[in-house]
This record gives sequence, C-alpha cells and structure tokens, in this order.
Amino acid sequence: MKKQKFNFTILMVVFMFLAVSAVFTTTAFAEEPTVIKIGNISPLSGPAGPWGQAPMPGYDAFIAAMNKEGVVVNGKKYVFKLISVDDQNSPEGGARAAKRLIYEEKVKFILGHWSWNFPSVAAVTNPAKVILMTRTGNEAVPGGAYTPKKMPYTVFGTPSHERFISSIFALVKAYPDYSKVGISDSTLGKGIGWDYVDRELAKAGIRFHHEWYPPGTQDFTPYITRFKEAGCDIVFGGGDVMAAMLILKQRWEMGYKDWKIGTAGAMLDPKMYIGVSGMEASQGFISQYDANWNFKKTIVNPKYVKMCQTVQKMASDAIGKPYNYTGWIEWVPAHLQILVQAMQKANTVDDTAAIMKAIRGGTFDTVSGKYTMSGKKTYGAAVVFGNPGVMSQIKGDKEVYFSESPWTPIP
Amino acid sequence: MMQFFKTIHLMDYKNIVPKLVIGLVVAAIVLLPVVTKDVVILSMLIFSGLWAVAAMGFTLVLRTGQFSLGQSAFMAIGGYTCAILTVQMDFPFWPSFLLSGIISGLVAFLLGVVVLRVGGIYFSIITLALGEIVRIIALNWESVTRGSRGLVTSSPLPISIFGWELANFDASPVPYFYFMLCLVAITGVVFWRIGDSRLGQIFAGVALNPELAEHQGIHLMKYRIIAFTIAGVFTGYAGALYTHFLTVITPMVFGLWQSIQAMIMSIVGGISSLVGGPIIGGVLLYGLGDRLSRLQTPGLSQMVFGATVVLVLICLPKGTGLVELWDKFWKKVVWREVEYEHDEMED
Amino acid sequence: MPPAGIWIDGLAQSCTYMTMAFGMVLVFSILGILNWAHGQFYMLGSILLYYAITAAGIPFPAGLLLAGLGMALLGIIVKVVIIDRVEGELYVGAATLALIFFFEGLASLLFGMQDRGLSMVLPGVLEMGGLSVSYQKVAVIVFTLVVMVVMYYVLHFTRMGKAIRAVSQNPDAASLYGISVERLSLVVMGIGCALAAMAGGIMAPVYPVNPFIGRAPMIMALLAIVIGGLGSLSGAIVGGLILGFLHSVIAYYLSYLAEVVLFVLVIIILLVKPQGLFGASIK
Repeated sequence: MKKQKFNFTILMVVFMFLAVSAVFTTTAFAEEPTVIKIGNISPLSGPAGPWGQAPMPGYDAFIAAMNKEGVVVNGKKYVFKLISVDDQNSPEGGARAAKRLIYEEKVKFILGHWSWNFPSVAAVTNPAKVILMTRTGNEAVPGGAYTPKKMPYTVFGTPSHERFISSIFALVKAYPDYSKVGISDSTLGKGIGWDYVDRELAKAGIRFHHEWYPPGTQDFTPYITRFKEAGCDIVFGGGDVMAAMLILKQRWEMGYKDWKIGTAGAMLDPKMYIGVSGMEASQGFISQYDANWNFKKTIVNPKYVKMCQTVQKMASDAIGKPYNYTGWIEWVPAHLQILVQAMQKANTVDDTAAIMKAIRGGTFDTVSGKYTMSGKKTYGAAVVFGNPGVMSQIKGDKEVYFSESPWTPIP
Repeated sequence: MMQFFKTIHLMDYKNIVPKLVIGLVVAAIVLLPVVTKDVVILSMLIFSGLWAVAAMGFTLVLRTGQFSLGQSAFMAIGGYTCAILTVQMDFPFWPSFLLSGIISGLVAFLLGVVVLRVGGIYFSIITLALGEIVRIIALNWESVTRGSRGLVTSSPLPISIFGWELANFDASPVPYFYFMLCLVAITGVVFWRIGDSRLGQIFAGVALNPELAEHQGIHLMKYRIIAFTIAGVFTGYAGALYTHFLTVITPMVFGLWQSIQAMIMSIVGGISSLVGGPIIGGVLLYGLGDRLSRLQTPGLSQMVFGATVVLVLICLPKGTGLVELWDKFWKKVVWREVEYEHDEMED
Repeated sequence: MPPAGIWIDGLAQSCTYMTMAFGMVLVFSILGILNWAHGQFYMLGSILLYYAITAAGIPFPAGLLLAGLGMALLGIIVKVVIIDRVEGELYVGAATLALIFFFEGLASLLFGMQDRGLSMVLPGVLEMGGLSVSYQKVAVIVFTLVVMVVMYYVLHFTRMGKAIRAVSQNPDAASLYGISVERLSLVVMGIGCALAAMAGGIMAPVYPVNPFIGRAPMIMALLAIVIGGLGSLSGAIVGGLILGFLHSVIAYYLSYLAEVVLFVLVIIILLVKPQGLFGASIK
C-alpha cells in the first residue's frame, strides 16, 4: 500500500515537472506535450459552494489520468489543465469568471454552467468564439435562452427536466403500488421545464401532485401536511438538498414514516443526510446516481468503467480519505471526452469553429455511454441526450444502486 | 518656485489645485479605453460605476433622514422594465431605456406617497419588505419575467453616423464604458446641483431635525418624496444599463444583499458628499470585492472583505467616510495647515 | 382551521424568532444600535455547539450553555473592539453589516460550507393521540419558556435588570443615579449575543448547520421587533409569535405565496400602526 502511494507521488512529481517544463519550453520540442487550458466555472464559495467543491478531486484525478497518456491530435501530444474560477453562484459572477478565463487565462474551452448563469456566460463566450460546454441543457429546450444563431459555440448537457422525468419513471417502476407522487421544488425552478414534466407524467399515467415552496424554506411542516392531504406517499424533490434533508426529517417526525423521499441530483454525501435527518429517517432515501460502472441496463465502454474506478482511487489517495462522491462523472469527464474526440476528428486544438463542426452530429464514446450529438435536428446545435435515470438509495451509511429507467428524450 | 505659489495664492490655490487633480483623474478615466481595452478591467469599472449610481441614490434618500433598505429593488424595476419592453414586447432599446428610469421613478413616487410618512427603522423595514416583494414577484410571474431563468436581453444596435461606426455594443465593452460614464456624469451633475441648491439645504434640514423643519413650514413629506423619486429614477437607469451589459436579469441579480452592498458603499465612501462619496465607495469596494474573488480558498474573500470594511471604519476619523480624507489629505499633508484640534484627539 | 400540527409547528417557529428578537431589542434599547450581525451569532452558536458535541463530547445542555458563554464573550469583544471605536449609528450599522461577511467567511473557512446536522441529539418523537411532535421541537419550546421566565426575573427582580430597564427608559437620568451605562452595555451585549447563540444552539438539531443559517432568522427577528414596536421587549415577543404562526398557517393555506403575503402583512401593519404594535417604551 505504502509503495503504491510512493509510486503515485513520483508520478505526480514527474507529471508536474513535465507540465511546468511544457509551459516554459512552449513548442521547442515536438515530442513535449503542450498544455491545453480548460476553464471551469463553478460556485466555489457561499451557500452553493459545496456543489462546486465536491466534484473537484474527481475532476483533478480524471484529468491527471487523461494526461498520463496524453491526448494525440494531428500527431502532436497534448495535456489538459483545468482552471477553476468561482462564480459566486450569480449571473454577474459567471460573466466575470468567463471574462477572466478568456481574456486573462486565454482559454478556448469553458466547462460550465448552472442553468441560471448560462445567458450571462454565453454572452461572453460566443463573441469570443470560445466553446462553452454547459452542465445541463435546460436553456436548450424550446422557450429557453438558447438562440442558435447568436450562440453557435455552445454544447449542452442533459436537460435536468428530462432526467427528472426518467427518475420519476424509475421510482414508479420500483414502487408500483404507490398512491401518489408528490413533487416538490422551490419557486426558483418554476417555468416551462415543469410544464413539460407535468405533460409527460400525465401522458404516462402517473398520479402526481405538485407543491412549490419559497427558496430557502426550512420549515416544511405546512407543505408535508399539504402533501398528506393530497394523498401522496412518495415525495420527490427537484434537486434542492437542504429541502430534501428537511422533508426527510420532518415527515419522519410528523409520523409519515413509510413515505419514500427522494431528490433529483446527485447525493452529495450519505453521511450528511444521516447527520441532519437522523439514521432511521434517512434509510431508503433516493437520489440520482452518477456512478456508472455497475448500471444494470446502460452500456458503457468497459474501458471507461475501469478508468472511472481508477480515478476514484486516485482521488481518494490525493485527498487522503475515501472519496465516495460520484457526481463528478456526470459532466466534466464526458464533456472532455467529447471535446478530445472532436479535436481528433477536426485535426486541430485551437480552431474552435472546426471543432464545433465536428461536435455537431458527431458520435462520441464517453464515460456516460455512447451518444450521437443531435446537431441541427433538434435545436440547431449540439445537444447531448442519453443520460439514463439511474437511482441510488441510502442503506446503512452507504449509497447503493437502486434502479434505473431508460431515457425518453424530447421528440 | 516661491513666486509661483504666491501668484497662485491670489487665485486661491488651495481650492484650485485639488480640483485640478480631480479633473486630471476624471480625464484619465475618460481616456482609459485609449490606453487599454482590457475587458476584465473595463467590466469591473462599468459594474462599479453602476453600483456607485445606486449608492448615490441611497445617499440622497439618506439625506432626507430615511434609511432605505430596498434601493436595489429600483435597479430591479428599471432592469425588468427595460428587459420586458425590449424582449417581450420587441421595443427598440433607446425608448425602453428612457422609460425604465421613468417607470422606476414612478413606482418610487407612488410608494413614497404611501410609505414615506413612516419614519426611521420602520421605513427601512418597509423598504426591505418591498425589495423582497419585487424579487418574489419577479420570481413567480413567469409568463412575463421567465422566473428564475431570467430575461435575456440583447445589446443596443450599433450607432453609426454616415456609415462610420461610432459605437458597436456587441464588439467590446468600450461603448458600455462611455454609456456608464455618461450615466454617472448626469447623475453626478443632477445630484451635485441638488446638493448645492436650496433643495439640498432643505434636505439637510429635514434630516437634521425633522420637527424643527416641519415647524419652519417645510413640508417634510414633499421633500422626502422628491428625494425618493429622484433616487428611484437614476437607480432605475443604473439597473437597466446593468441588465443590458450583463445581458440577463434574474430575480437573484438584485436582492437584499445587493441593497446592503450599495448601502455599505455609500457609508464607507462618505455620506457628507452626494457624489464623491458614493463614487469612491462604489469603485473601491467593488474593486476590492472583484480582486478578492480571485482568492481560491472558499470563504477567505468574504472574510477579508468584511475585515477590510470594519478596519476602514475603525481607522477613519469618527463619523466620516473615505471622501473626507481627500480634504484632510490636502489640508494636513500637502499644505500642512495648523488648525485647532477638536476634542477628537482625546482618545 | 388548520390541523393541530401546524399550530405546534408555528409555536416552535415563533420560539426562535422570539429569542432572537428579544436579544436584538435588548441590545438596541441600551446601546441604541441594531446589531445587524445578530444572525451570525446564531450561526456561530450552533457551530460551536456542533463542535462541542461531536468533537469534545460535551452533553447537549452543557454545550448549549457553553455556546451561549462563548458567544457572549465574542459579543463583548465585538462591542469593545468595533462598536466602541466606530462613532455614529450609521457607521456602526455599516460595521456590523460588514461583520456578517467576516463571520460567514470565517465559518466557511474553518467549518466548511457543507450542511452538517445534530440529529442524534434528543432523537425520537412524542406521540400525543394521533399528533406527533419531535423531542427536538419540544426542547425548543421549553427552552424558550425558560429563557423568557429567566429574563423576566432578571429584568424585574435583580439590581442589574432594574438598571437595564432604567437605562433603556432614560440613560441620562439613570447615570445620575450612579448606574454605569458603559458597563451595563457590555453586559447587555453579552446577554443579547448569548441569547442569539443559544437560539442557534437549540435549533441546531432541528435544522442543518452551515455558515449561512444566520441570515433568515435575523431577517425574521428584525421583522418581529419592528412589528412589535422597536424598543419594546413585550413587543418583540408578540411580534415573534405573530410571525411564527402566520408563517406556518399561511403556508398551509397558500403554500409558496405565504412569503409574499407575510411581507405585505408587515407593510400593512406598519402603515396602520407606524410605531409598531407596542409603541416604543420598554415595559
């Protein structure tokens, strides 16, 4: 064990040396890998900070793993460097972060962002011809902020509403004798996305009841009472962790112990739920699951399953304790792989127009499965579809695989 | 050399030299885009200028003895007016922009008529509640405001004269920079005139001693409403420009914490001046926050920001803001005037 | 008529607001300033309690007292180092506002931004004929009652309490009778911050603990004291009760619209009674 760690340290030192020398020697030697900077815009401080911080060890280890072999484009070897900038979870902070990355760090590719900062970041990246790969595709659905003509340098992730629908399908499949699904979300989430969710759920014949609460709500007793009166026995939330923990705790205290509680979005840490909601109350808590190496139905390239396991180990070694959070797989690795494969197809690492052309309509093999980018067919630019709704559950103090449901994309 | 100072003395050099320096600084700022077109620096200055306008509005209301905790609500109203008109109703930019301040001022006037008769902390809480109500309406009225996803605005069309492109808002932040400078300048001149005029003196009187002012036949309400409305108009314009520069307005852009930000800028900058204080406070504090956001350690930037503001407030002479340091600097450091020390030296 | 669970929940809600508002009013009535960082003492109190229980293994009631004492000390330090050195109500206000950022940053740095919880403290549910209330909420209600009784006793039957009431009514006259306003204001600042910290501590098992939990109770406490009438201790209690019950009951009927209704109601109350419900004298 000790020896392995030692090897890893040597490896890191060598890599650091290579990276540093690469920066200083620029293109003097063709064999030396050149650094490609990738910007990452995330909330790193403030109330949303944990969400930006949690996947960082995973990203760092993943990029280190990728860099071990290097990426060969057009016969030249490249390594990646992730530059993360805090956006303070605000549109203004997002625009500031994007400007800093583009004009000071000179990046050509930015990974990010949460949907409500998308417009202000896209307004900076597109005129600069910088490729923005967003985490969700919420703005790509009809009625969203995405305008293909003005934002040609945008790649979307999976719209979270679509993931939500498939999660509900998975949930209902797991508990076929439910009486009604209560859907809870803060008013921050209101909008066209939910109308779409309602339509799809009604079409599938799922019994559900919607309940909204103001953002930052801590006392859910009135809302749980309303769910009870509507006849719900499953409450599934829209990704607000604080709300999920409190509903989990408060319904237990109100005596509705057999209710199934869950939330869209990855589980940050089962221990957090146990700490806040109590050991008993948090048993069976359901959330979306991004660790993809033991899906039952989804086919992921075994090469990448192995890679993710290695990366998880590397991250644990780097932070000195077991790294259990799997949400990091959700988007940065997949997006990086799309980017690399598009670079190889386009035979360039800095002509963003050519790379975008390769992304549109291309097929990519990633850690989240094999996708064909939708190209012009859907919204006029690349949109990733295909993440399955995979669910996990708290058992004891561990997060375990629960169930999954295949995807039903927007027609 | 002595001769030179003597001649200047005739022209009251102690008054002229500081003004000359201010003039040079203003000229330097105006000519800044000639030297650098750095997007990061210009954006920072644009945002800080807009916050300075909001801080000016806060100071003006404070001058009449009212402590408003909802100043950013008027930025939101201005921003949303402009965004709704241009995005949802396809109005051209310039008339929408003009309307944004007018509507924001109108809202300020109507609210002022109702709520300004309440004084002190009660008024602060009412404005706090109003600010929250504006945010909640913006969040929940999706059909018009698109809720938390916000309205995405586009830049004003390029201005060209005889085929020569004067200002292309899409290409660089420079036109926005001058737009911001114009707004700050107009607001500054208006507020400076108010400060110097009889109206300004009445404001000061209203703040110093409301009962006495009322006794002397000054209609308190009337002047408070005037100040509140004027502040509303210019804060609304700042909000509209902010929205278009950021290209999006969401309910999270302007909230209670942004009101507090404007308030701290105004107070640290110095409330004795309607124009200089808020500008100094706005630029320095926004610049500080911007620089600190580069710190990678989570929490450190907020901590340093808070500590800096507290330290500045402790170190400043009692009951003054940064703007008073300017006069002190010339009097004490440059001219080395000996003056009667007040009892402030005791501690 | 909403079910009984809603009323009990409203009561538990009002308890926090009451304790917070009480401390704020107490500080205001002696120092003449609003401590805007009051909510951050709430937050620091619950974080201190979290460490006292998880790291040091101190039992909950002792930890609660420890959190109160620790924050009382911090409050006195803030009073001496910052509030006394900054002059003018406005500047003190700005300084305490800046302290919000300082404390939240400090807590993120030391504690981390992630939610943590103390659900293992007082687990279990009290069943009363179809109605179930968690022991944690019962503790909140009992704690608030105890605090109110103790404060009533202190303010009415001790020398110091009488001095506090005298100073809040007329500081000049009180100092003529040999009361040291300076020393008293230190004590009051300590009590106010201790109340905030203990409110944070007693709520720590109920809600998650993170560096940003101080904001919401601070705003609600502010609304409570203003509804009740600034400077009135009984007003703070009534204001807290009104807000807590309104919050739960309106949310039960109108769900997310409760937030806006609450703010509109506050405005209406202030427009109808511009000095708050209980005027501006200490009872």
